[in-house]
Amino acid sequence: MLTEVETGCDFRSLVLRHQATVFSIALHFLRDRATAEEVAQEVFFSLHRNLHQIETPAHAAAWLRKVAVQRSIDEGRRRSRRPQVALADVAEPAAGIRPGDPLLSELLRKLVASLPEAPRMVMVLRYQEDLEPAEIAAALEMPVATVKSHLQRSLALLRGKLARRGVGESEWTG
Amino acid sequence: MDWLEDELRRALAREDPPDGFAERVMARSARGPSGARRWLAAAAMVVVAAGAAGAWRQHQGYEAKREMMLALRLASTPINRIQSEVRGITQ
Repeated sequence: MLTEVETGCDFRSLVLRHQATVFSIALHFLRDRATAEEVAQEVFFSLHRNLHQIETPAHAAAWLRKVAVQRSIDEGRRRSRRPQVALADVAEPAAGIRPGDPLLSELLRKLVASLPEAPRMVMVLRYQEDLEPAEIAAALEMPVATVKSHLQRSLALLRGKLARRGVGESEWTG
Repeated sequence: MDWLEDELRRALAREDPPDGFAERVMARSARGPSGARRWLAAAAMVVVAAGAAGAWRQHQGYEAKREMMLALRLASTPINRIQSEVRGITQ
């Protein structure tokens, strides 16, 4: 029988391997570094308590992703009782944003953060974790068709918001 | 590839947690449950102990009452006999 270290399922290895994933899911969903770290720590404590259930490194990755998603959503609901940053508060970017501009990245993060809970998490899992709709559906326990619908509607919404801010296809096609 | 999706991948790229994150997780995990959890466990133990003490006191009360009733019953038997004998003599 292999040990936890031999299978790659020992706690330290799992923390080191998945800390960026877990922290980033919470960060991109909640947009608060301190809260994201707290959520990420809670996710790993939960893993520590349930380590005996983990069978393979792939199982650990899926388990951590699912718990990170759930804890982030729970924290988001707790915080929703407090004032949030509304889309109207998102500052207008300087004119002439080009591809890869950090200002555009920041604007996109704020626009994603202004989406409702479910489409926001779908966008985070799609573009942070590069998951396919079926994998996102499994992580969020929702139908694949709903995931695809959230993706399409969120992209259309973001495209419209960016166009109104003067950011669009033309800057990328020359 | 769609330009917006490219930009979203760039904007939502994974970020490393603050320095020392893994060490903090390892240290807290080695310590076991958090302070709040320890307090919660201690409070639960106090409640259980208080409940057990209350139940024990109630049990002792019932025992004392039962013994008292038995003693009274035992004591009343000879008194009743003496009373009936006295009644017999006087009649």
